[in-house]
Amino acid sequence: MVKKQAGVFTGAVGLSVLLAGCGGGTGTGDDGATIELFSNKSESIGTYERLIEQFESEHPEISVNLEAPPEAETVLRTRLTRGDMPDIMSIGGNATYGELAREGVFYDLSESGLTDEVQDSYVDMLSQLAGPEHDAPYGLPYATNANHVIYNKEKVEELGIEIPQDWGDFINALETAEDAGETPIYFTLQEAWTGMAIWNAVAGNIVDEDFAERKNAGEATFVEEYDEVADKMLELLEYGHSDNFGVGYGDGNTAFANGGSVFYIQGNWAIPEILESNPDIELGTFTLPSNDDAEENELVSGVDVVLTVSETTEHSEEALTFLEFMIEQEVAEQYIDEQSAFSAVEGVYQEDEVFDGIREYFEDDRLTSFPDHYYPAGMGVENLVQDFLINQNKQESLEEIDSEWDFNRNR
Amino acid sequence: MKKDHVFLLMVLPAFLLFFIFHTYPALQGIFYSFTNFRGYGDWNFVGFFNYINVFQDGRAMSAYVFTFQFAIVSTILVNIFSLLVAIGLNSKIKFRKTLRATYFLPFILSVLIVSYIFQFMFAHMLPQFGQAFGIDFLSRNILGDQNLAWLGIVTVAVWQSTAFNTLLYLAGLSTVDDQVYEAADIDGANSWAKFWRLTFPLIAPFFTINMVVAMKNFLMAFDQIIALTGGGPGRATESISLLIYRGGFEGGQFAYQSANAVLYFIIIVAISVIQLRILERREVK
Repeated sequence: MVKKQAGVFTGAVGLSVLLAGCGGGTGTGDDGATIELFSNKSESIGTYERLIEQFESEHPEISVNLEAPPEAETVLRTRLTRGDMPDIMSIGGNATYGELAREGVFYDLSESGLTDEVQDSYVDMLSQLAGPEHDAPYGLPYATNANHVIYNKEKVEELGIEIPQDWGDFINALETAEDAGETPIYFTLQEAWTGMAIWNAVAGNIVDEDFAERKNAGEATFVEEYDEVADKMLELLEYGHSDNFGVGYGDGNTAFANGGSVFYIQGNWAIPEILESNPDIELGTFTLPSNDDAEENELVSGVDVVLTVSETTEHSEEALTFLEFMIEQEVAEQYIDEQSAFSAVEGVYQEDEVFDGIREYFEDDRLTSFPDHYYPAGMGVENLVQDFLINQNKQESLEEIDSEWDFNRNR
Repeated sequence: MKKDHVFLLMVLPAFLLFFIFHTYPALQGIFYSFTNFRGYGDWNFVGFFNYINVFQDGRAMSAYVFTFQFAIVSTILVNIFSLLVAIGLNSKIKFRKTLRATYFLPFILSVLIVSYIFQFMFAHMLPQFGQAFGIDFLSRNILGDQNLAWLGIVTVAVWQSTAFNTLLYLAGLSTVDDQVYEAADIDGANSWAKFWRLTFPLIAPFFTINMVVAMKNFLMAFDQIIALTGGGPGRATESISLLIYRGGFEGGQFAYQSANAVLYFIIIVAISVIQLRILERREVK
């Protein structure tokens, strides 16, 4: 008898565990809608929370839940598998965006007129990611980033280096720094992705923008078109420190902030972290002049945050209201101030003097996109580039990148 | 009959949970491995296309080579260390219980946390040590070197899992009757002979299970690698689990990596069975 009860009891516990797993869904309030904002950036959680608070006070009938998990892209993919998409997604403008756009996950924004308020070149970048058959505006480019050289102002002035305009200038500047006993560039190649900051900066001004398209059509290869990029990457590597592959991103930021090198090739996202390590450091930026011709050098800039609405959401109206709020001038300014980012919204410019050196590129629209945003997402190019930099075998590495790209379509 | 009923009821909840959260997803994975599913959207059946491609995939092959190299070395080291520690902790020494608890601590700690601590040591402390003593290969972060990074991962994996295998060996050693040793003492056997002729054969079943469990765990290595190297430098430390995760969830290769996972499952089962067969044969019956 006792035994039997125990059995029933275990059964009950088991069942209740099962049931607990099913409950707990998010309900909507009686008087308004709750929309979920999914963000892939942990850095912007604070900013989003403040903006949401402001939005909710202006629109009391809508409440917004912010969801910003780690490994967000993976989380988003698994949620897609379950057919449980967030109402608004704030994600990166990369290959994943293109893939999701092709899949028909996003709401078509063409009727909302929202994309008229932002810079065309970024709208074009996004539709290029989605491919020619899906050129409707599925995303609203919001914040943008830049891949550039960050420099230590004090050191550069001390060494009398002028901001380089072409490749020769840049190499001379590195030589000057090295002769003065400084470390010219601080590499953080233990983390493979940081190699892409250099790869993109170099390739952005050398390789044609339609490379990926031609590569997919079988008309272009890395071996042919990235030869110069590979050479220049290796040339840069000669100006590193003693353990280029042993230092990660976090340690690199700290080292650069404390005078570890004259130059640091990273995106604007590194600047808040550098300033956190050393609030007193004076920083400047310039575009990496990888082309021998100064006129050809543009700024590598991409869509860092694209706002999209789910195709399947029941609250598309509320979601669009939130997007309208986000592109208001003051809101867009607050976002880029807090995030040290750039805005895709017309007429909103980053005023921070750190970016004095690259502002004209934005104003003159001398922008080029991140080459790797058009590479297939699954090929893991950053590890291949890291491998190339370690082994310095140009031909072999470029061939491998070529074959990984091709093989990736069979996976 | 009634008794059967009760036992059945006791088994049922566990069975249900196991089936829903383990067996069913596994079956789903096998199902999708025959499709071109990317994790979302439309899909079609493609037969054995994914399986054929896994065999032609250089990235997968290098992941297999690395994983086996890592797993074999780690399994051997873990078993040597844990057997030594267990014998030490089983002898009559002071603070035996405290020491036993201390040696078990690494197992309680999360693999990720341990790995991040080691990563810090490899990046900051070890190079300083190497520079101070002029040891060339230690004067840089070994995780940044394609030929040495795997040693870092082996170190962490062995340090962590020695604890659990020690526990199993301790359990084994406690099954050995003291009388056997007394008899050996009378015969004048030295400690070396006592270990090889008595202890080791008598705990052979525990040796078997330790080898199988350790090998299986190391073949599925993931956490240590994510935290220490992320599979790098290059692809030098990309294990199969990591490749499946990266490709399947980050790269939209859900079906393809499911096929890889199914193949890997078959390989792990085969290895475990072979290990059991060979090792059980030498056990004292």
